[in-house]
Amino acid sequence: MGKGWCLFFLFWPVAAVASCAMAPFVNWSFPYDNAQAASNLGIRIDGLFYLILVITAIVFIGTQAVLVYALWRSVNNREKRAMHIHGNHKLELIWSIIPGVILLFLSIYQMNIWADFRIKKYFPEAAVKAPLAEVTARQFEWRFRYPAIGKKLQQKPQSDDLYSVNELHVPFGKPVLIQLRSDDVQHSFFLPALRVKQDALPGLQIPVWFEANKPGIYDLVCAELCGWGHYKMKAHVIVESDGEYQKYLKNLTQKQFYDGLGKIASKDSSRESEAAEK
Amino acid sequence: MSVLNHPPTGLQPILKPQAHHAPGNFITKYIFSTDHKIIAVQFLFTTLLMMIVGGALALAVRWQLAFPWESMPIVGPWLFAAEGGQISPEFYTMLFTMHATVMIFLVIIPILAGTFGNFLIPLMIGADDMAFPKLNMLSYWFMWPAIACFGLSFAYAGGPAAGWTSYPILADLAQAAPGSGNAQTLWLFGVTFIGFSSMMGSINYMTTIINMRAPGMTFFRLPMTIWGLFITAILQAFALPVLTAGGFMQVADRLLGTCFFYPSGLVINNAAPTVGGGQALLWQHLFWFYSHPAVYIMLLPVMGMVSDMLSCMCRKPLFGYKPMVISMSAIASLGFIVWGHHMYTSGMNPAVGMAFMVATMMIALPSAVKTFNWTATIWGGKLEFNTVTLNCIAFLSMFIVGGLSGIFMAAVPVDVYFHDTYFIVAHFHYVLFGATLFGVFAAIQFWFPKMFGRMMNEKLGKTHFVLTFIGANGTFFPMHFLGMQGMPRRYADPYLHGYLEHLVPMNQFMTISAIIMGLAQILLFINIFYSMFWGPKAGRNPWNATTLEWAAPSPPGHGNFDFVPMIYHGPNEYAVENGDKDFLMQSEKECLPPDKKHETDTDETETSE
Amino acid sequence: MRFGLSRLILLLLVPLISLPGCEQPQVEFVFSKKTNELMPQAAKPVKEALLNHFGNPFALTQFEGLPTDFGDIQGTVKSVEPSEKDQPLIRFHVTGLENTYHKLQGLPLKWTSGKGQGQVLRIKSYKYETSTVAVEKSAEITPQAGDTFLVECVRLQQGRDLYNRHCMHCHGMSGEGTGPTSRYLNPPPRDFRLGIYKYTSTKPTKKAQNADLARTVKEGIAGTYMPSFKLLTDDEVSAIVNYVVWLSIRGETEKKMVDELFQEYSKEELAERTSEEGGETKEEVLEELKDFMEEDFPDTVEFATSSVADAWEEANLEDSVVVPREPRVADTPESRERGRKLYLSERTKCATCHGPQGRGNGTATQDFWTNPVTNQKYPDRGLHDIWGNQLSPRDLHRGIYRGGRRPIDSYRRLFSGIKGTPMPAFGGSLSDQELWDLVNYVMSLPYDGNR
Repeated sequence: MGKGWCLFFLFWPVAAVASCAMAPFVNWSFPYDNAQAASNLGIRIDGLFYLILVITAIVFIGTQAVLVYALWRSVNNREKRAMHIHGNHKLELIWSIIPGVILLFLSIYQMNIWADFRIKKYFPEAAVKAPLAEVTARQFEWRFRYPAIGKKLQQKPQSDDLYSVNELHVPFGKPVLIQLRSDDVQHSFFLPALRVKQDALPGLQIPVWFEANKPGIYDLVCAELCGWGHYKMKAHVIVESDGEYQKYLKNLTQKQFYDGLGKIASKDSSRESEAAEK
Repeated sequence: MSVLNHPPTGLQPILKPQAHHAPGNFITKYIFSTDHKIIAVQFLFTTLLMMIVGGALALAVRWQLAFPWESMPIVGPWLFAAEGGQISPEFYTMLFTMHATVMIFLVIIPILAGTFGNFLIPLMIGADDMAFPKLNMLSYWFMWPAIACFGLSFAYAGGPAAGWTSYPILADLAQAAPGSGNAQTLWLFGVTFIGFSSMMGSINYMTTIINMRAPGMTFFRLPMTIWGLFITAILQAFALPVLTAGGFMQVADRLLGTCFFYPSGLVINNAAPTVGGGQALLWQHLFWFYSHPAVYIMLLPVMGMVSDMLSCMCRKPLFGYKPMVISMSAIASLGFIVWGHHMYTSGMNPAVGMAFMVATMMIALPSAVKTFNWTATIWGGKLEFNTVTLNCIAFLSMFIVGGLSGIFMAAVPVDVYFHDTYFIVAHFHYVLFGATLFGVFAAIQFWFPKMFGRMMNEKLGKTHFVLTFIGANGTFFPMHFLGMQGMPRRYADPYLHGYLEHLVPMNQFMTISAIIMGLAQILLFINIFYSMFWGPKAGRNPWNATTLEWAAPSPPGHGNFDFVPMIYHGPNEYAVENGDKDFLMQSEKECLPPDKKHETDTDETETSE
Repeated sequence: MRFGLSRLILLLLVPLISLPGCEQPQVEFVFSKKTNELMPQAAKPVKEALLNHFGNPFALTQFEGLPTDFGDIQGTVKSVEPSEKDQPLIRFHVTGLENTYHKLQGLPLKWTSGKGQGQVLRIKSYKYETSTVAVEKSAEITPQAGDTFLVECVRLQQGRDLYNRHCMHCHGMSGEGTGPTSRYLNPPPRDFRLGIYKYTSTKPTKKAQNADLARTVKEGIAGTYMPSFKLLTDDEVSAIVNYVVWLSIRGETEKKMVDELFQEYSKEELAERTSEEGGETKEEVLEELKDFMEEDFPDTVEFATSSVADAWEEANLEDSVVVPREPRVADTPESRERGRKLYLSERTKCATCHGPQGRGNGTATQDFWTNPVTNQKYPDRGLHDIWGNQLSPRDLHRGIYRGGRRPIDSYRRLFSGIKGTPMPAFGGSLSDQELWDLVNYVMSLPYDGNR
């Protein structure tokens, strides 16, 4: 019976490791096609993740293997009595210092990424100078306010600002900064593809920067419970070339100041419906 | 298994005056009891009852995730008849809020501190009862107002819908989570009541452990269980007031119109703009200042109990008693300065996040040391796979996963991605279910004979263990993958989002595992109630354990000991050489040599390391 | 013994957790309050007519003549599965349904050839992967390979499923605006059954265009709990709109029929008519009702449905849309000043509701108003909409435009009013130039820091 139980306790770590190993091949890893982040910072974060994954995997396999081996040994212990030992100073020192060093290394290693990501001093200058848009989260949608073409984003709404709902257009290949705020409760601006997440705090305006490095349509979701419709806060971030982005802004301007007469220039994307023109 | 039905040798039974009068009729004995053992049993059954409630809520949550918007069995047609049994999204938020509330405040914290703290502290340190028996009784009875508040809040007032973290502004302004108006206030009162209950318990435990130890029971002869409970009590006593204060502030915001947690100018649900000067972040600081130590409140007692049980089952002294105590204290003290790791994305100053990150990384160290020590305890032991052992190993095995996944979360940039996704759900379920509840299952099996004088059934226990273990891993391990995919927590319908659409089959697999796990608990209840009345009688020391409670009769009478307890050794003297048996109880001065009955000269002179 | 006990308990618990997910829930469309206030004998034919023409949420029914895209799909039986005598269902494989919606359970299936030609059955279960349809066995119908049939209401069903997932929690199963979440919301979700929608592009008396509803679904209504569903595809949005309009038609049909009966045959009226000494007896009233039901009621039903259907069809015509005759007047200070004068003038009376500064605090908010439906005063002060909810005039400084922030949106609000609310239509009384001046003034208010 003892062996059976040892196998039982061996089985599940093996299953866990096996399922982790096959995760990238069955789409259980990071989201989107090739599980790669769509920003350079995201790729660095992924790198950190994989580093921790390797370390923890080694520790996991090691401890579980030793555990099962110890179990197997002590179940099949033929001695009359167990080993009489109260501890070992050297061992304690070894297994305190080694993990301590690894953990300290990890915490120092990642500081740069965090600083680049969030500390204001290290924000890319170009992005700070001309914020792309103001993102306002409210129950239960995302509202975006862009400055008029050629103008800078102001703290207060301007009469020529451009507005859109649940669809943020972003040019790729250059860092952009958004001003994140909330109209009512707490929300969280979560862009899984870019590994960006920042809570929107009512009463504060929080700058968030990111740089998408390839075009595409990415999901923007809310990651902080904001009420019954939390799951409904579904939006897209559309990353496109600078030219297309400018075209989009032009189109948006035309649409927003449409007076019911005349024609609107051809639609920039097929996703816009006819309904929006009516 | 040899049974000791006589008091340990070398001690004279002495009749002692009792600390308080013995129980009289049924009501004074079982209802308004001041006896710590009865109170422990009261806590045990209350928490087990609440476990059923919390489990049912969890299954309802899982149902919605696996089969979104399909008729929910039992509750659906009953509550949402006009919608064809399809639950509403705000009901879903209530479900997970109540699941967390019940499981944390009404199951795990009371079953550890209430049940095992109450039962074991006096027995293990050689006291005849708690220092403040009436306070003890009050701490149990304060659970019921809390249960009433939570129950009313859920069933009558519309349900608290802001998550167990109760973050403002959602929880703070009645119009933000409308319909939960009174419910959220009631919920806060419930938390306050359970806080009172815990606080009374903590004061009692600290006083008892410090003042009422039997002669010879020095601090470094305390069993690990007592260390765990002692440190927990200290944590609780220091952290809880902060939550209570925060709770009162939130209640004041809700009822009196103060504005601790909301700024001005918010227009919610078409109400008039708010006027205030508060900040929602303040609540998060107050809340996590309690709730991070609370994680250790939910873990340290189990660590202690598992240390004692593992050592007994391996027939081997605990490896590294002092390092274990030191690491436990380190966890507790570091536990006070890591609360910020719940708030990396919250908008607090990112530079502060770095400091919290280092502290959080460092708190992994004592946990690692403990894990290594437990493994070393098993190494070279003489193990028998019974239910207690199995559950202890499961504790260890799953604690490793919970601990390792914590390292991802400690790393700030990685946590930014994993924050509020299912990865976090996986992590804390591995710690709170995988580690704590398996430890509790082991502890129930282990101390059941002392509580009720009868052994629990092994076959039922093993079946329960296997099903629970498979169910738990099947439910919680895939959550890591959901988190990797970026599936946020607390979503009633995650599949609305394109990048999560393909996760339905995985969620269905998890739900089926959860149902298996839920059903397995029926075996636990059958086992408990069956064994209470028809289990084989246990003697004083069915496990051949060394700690003091096993020297008392099973179940111990009023006043616990029929002899004056004197302590001569550390807690885990197993595998003694040259003795008639392989263990030396704490109350036994020395072993009898294997061949002689009364002899003075033995090699066993060491007490504890 | 002890294991016998535990097994027994386990066995007892199994039926409790057996998954009842496959069963179709029995849900019915609700009827309006007024319908339920009719005499039972009068309410019954109304309810029956509605059931015949519209069915229930999970048993939709096709009714010709409505401007609704029901989406019939033609299919052919490929092979019939042999079935045992005692099985209640007969299953057959079909072709023709491969490229359509994958949930057809509950829909009517009409045989167009073979033995059961003309017969209609409900689909009891449908497997998309294998294209297997199951219907109830009946003596008259034995499907053969090669028989053709129509599956009706496929498009409507798709709309219903989307509606039930995205909209039902607030707007309710029948579009009555009282879903389980609705009690949390302010302003309350729209009751579709009056067929009135606030933010439209059509002329004052016209209904909403489908495109208007689609725009509302896509853009949401700022300042309310109606979120933007922009990420639904156009096809999905049009399916939802199709279903919502169908719900509206159902509600309006019901309302028209009930209005016809309510004068004479409500419970209250019955009590009044039979209370007088020597007046009518209950039997007499019932006799009269019976006559009415036999002679006039079929026409009433006919008229109700066709008039509602016509109104919806008309709204979607090109010339129902409000199109300004002149382009927007340049947004100059002079234009705004003209607009301001107009705003304060007696001609428009904007200030009585929206307040002299546009803060939404005009004197009218302190008056008791008369309900246009019942001609009685409302019990509380302030303006009310046709659904009976208290309504505050918009604060024009907040920069939140529920119907959209384009100039044309504001123009249309002024031209046609806001349907169902006291906001009047100025299309007839003001010239285009004046309307545009007003638009320019109103849209400048949020950015005017001093006022």
